[in-house]
Amino acid sequence: MTGPVGAPTLAGPAGEACADGPFAEDLDAYRLALRDHLRAERALQRFRNRRYPSTEARMADHAGLERLLYDGGWNRYGWPSAAGGLGGDERHRAVLYDELAAAGLPVPGQHMLLETLGPPVVRFAQDLAAAHLPAYLRGEEWWGQGFSEPEAGSDLASLRCRARRDGDTYVVTGQKLWTSHGATATRLVCLVRTGTPESRHRGLSMIMIDVDAAGVTIRPVAMANGDNELAEVFFDDVVVPASRLIGAEGQGWAVAMYLLQFERAMYAWLSAAEALRRLRELRGQLAARAAAGRTLPADAAARLGEAYAHLAALRARSADTVRRLAAGDTVGPEASVDKVLLATAEICLHDTARDLLSDEFLFAAEDAPGVTAPAAAAAVAAGCFGEVAQWRTDWWFSRSATILGGSAEVQRTILADHVLGLPKETKR
Amino acid sequence: MISSPSETGLDAATAELLAGSLREVLTTNLDGSGLGSVLEELGWDEVLADDRAGATTLLFVEHGRALAASRVLDDVLLAELAPSLPAPGAGTRVPFYPLGTAAPVTPGAPLAGLLLGGLDGVTEVVVPVALDGRVELALVPAGLVTAIARPAGGFDPASRWLVVEGAVDGLAEHTLPDGGAWERAVAAGRLALAAEIIGVCAAALAIAVEHTSARVQYGRQIATFQAVRHRLSEAHVATESARSVLAVAWAAQDHPDGGVGAARLAKLRAGWAQAEVMRHALQVCGAMGLSLEHQLHRHVSRAAALDALLGGHRALTEQLGTELLAGADFDRVVEI
Repeated sequence: MTGPVGAPTLAGPAGEACADGPFAEDLDAYRLALRDHLRAERALQRFRNRRYPSTEARMADHAGLERLLYDGGWNRYGWPSAAGGLGGDERHRAVLYDELAAAGLPVPGQHMLLETLGPPVVRFAQDLAAAHLPAYLRGEEWWGQGFSEPEAGSDLASLRCRARRDGDTYVVTGQKLWTSHGATATRLVCLVRTGTPESRHRGLSMIMIDVDAAGVTIRPVAMANGDNELAEVFFDDVVVPASRLIGAEGQGWAVAMYLLQFERAMYAWLSAAEALRRLRELRGQLAARAAAGRTLPADAAARLGEAYAHLAALRARSADTVRRLAAGDTVGPEASVDKVLLATAEICLHDTARDLLSDEFLFAAEDAPGVTAPAAAAAVAAGCFGEVAQWRTDWWFSRSATILGGSAEVQRTILADHVLGLPKETKR
Repeated sequence: MISSPSETGLDAATAELLAGSLREVLTTNLDGSGLGSVLEELGWDEVLADDRAGATTLLFVEHGRALAASRVLDDVLLAELAPSLPAPGAGTRVPFYPLGTAAPVTPGAPLAGLLLGGLDGVTEVVVPVALDGRVELALVPAGLVTAIARPAGGFDPASRWLVVEGAVDGLAEHTLPDGGAWERAVAAGRLALAAEIIGVCAAALAIAVEHTSARVQYGRQIATFQAVRHRLSEAHVATESARSVLAVAWAAQDHPDGGVGAARLAKLRAGWAQAEVMRHALQVCGAMGLSLEHQLHRHVSRAAALDALLGGHRALTEQLGTELLAGADFDRVVEI
């Protein structure tokens, strides 16, 4: 099987790069070629079992992984050629995540928001996609998602960050909070108010803002694990070209709803693939401890089995949703089932790790202040330096599964309203 | 590659028509009498040949929804066991359902398991026996089993099942090589049972939705209270996830293990779902749901009993985890 390197992307007669890659119409061939490549490619080895001291370090290193995947053409499938892709559909992206995870490789951190922000930009802002998505796929830039605000969390439609039209530009003033990847991204895709303050979801627009534009101030927000996954962003009369709109002015809510389909389908699938890799790693870590003569908690088997069963159920559900999305179906409120299953599986996996690694998780000295050099060296030699610390870091992130992207409460309310058809909650 | 589980043969209109006929006969005759002739009228063999997954799921979902107590599950197991057994002659055979994880019986150990009905008219009971690491099938004369069988009481007295407890002499003396038939029979049974549990869950959830939408407290329907709504949503999520795993399990027949692992997972998740659904349904139906005259308790009991058949979800979860800890592959279960 030959790889897609050198795939035909030559300029057409009109000077446009428009050719799809050889795997665009053959998902199984893509899967097998990718599987072979990931197994054999030595340059990928350094990304396995790698742990990072910070989000910044992880994103910077993953940019290198993204570049390798781009150069081979692998991460370009699932994106249109006009936006730097090689054609194919969502299933190609889903296969990429699955094969990376099965090969013991991380899905580059950049993909979390590529999956939510990429599709609406491709759909509603072709020029922006052509201008910036190729660089995203090359690992040269990535975007943050600026939706929530101090006074608009679950109640997103109450957001106040304002964009005032001024000729060919918008002038943005206000604040965003809990901006995912806000501390490392080069551009932010923001939901802003272009209508009246009372216009709720009708007066919103989506716009792409460069973080180095004059008047943008970013303050990283450290999560409880110390990682700067999120940020607070201040806009002080930031001038943004009107060409940066994603969708028409006032169409922001519709664009956000379109985006949500990919968050529900693709992000869930991506996360499930990663979680399955992590569960496999946990099994290895537990087996190593058992082999070293340590006694595992009595319920280790039941807990591991439970975590796997939750993940398998999530994958079963999510695969169907991904296929529906790829077939052009609209993924509606029923996808809140996927979101609830994702949160359940992630919380269960990380609680399992915490409880089965027990005292180590709580009290291990490997990352304590003043850890001795010999102790650290011994841990490195044993190949387990930082593995428990990684679970601690991830445990905190897993808690966001029921909060970010629509809280657990919002999901259950959507199901109650639109799927079960229960009588609506009454306003007090 | 595993194909899309939505690619089944039955179209929606046919499925609805079949479901209607099955619902009618099963709700009229909970013991399943008349089911055979209705299946014949519907040309069930052809329907099965056309779409085994769709037809089996349809039948057992309706069986569960109606809380029927027939022996139609016996037929599912016997179909898998038959190639390893001599022709039955004039008599009737039924399979034995070991308790626990449905593991074959150890020679010398007492039997502990269930039968789906009485032994009148039954000539032989098919019992799986573990011999030197392989499985063989014993055809035990019904008379020997009658001596150690009693009606199942306990949690679900409406089940009509028999509990078999005790030793059968000479169990290992006249056994037949099973050629993997017992494993296939358990897997087929688990797929059917997963569907049946889903049917019971769907019925219980419908009862809970109806009750909470009608019941008024504090001047409003209680289904307008967030705490109630969210419980019902969780019950829905549990049921739907069981449906998804079941569909994937049916599509896994060409997996190297013949779909045995996926069938176990489908049963496990259906068992887990019934625990979730019944917990929430019981709570939101309040004291009425606990009363004998209300129909909910029958769903709770039946779902729990079905969960125990061919491996309860907790036992299966532990079995799965033990295999994983011992180094079993982390099967991806489903691919895109």
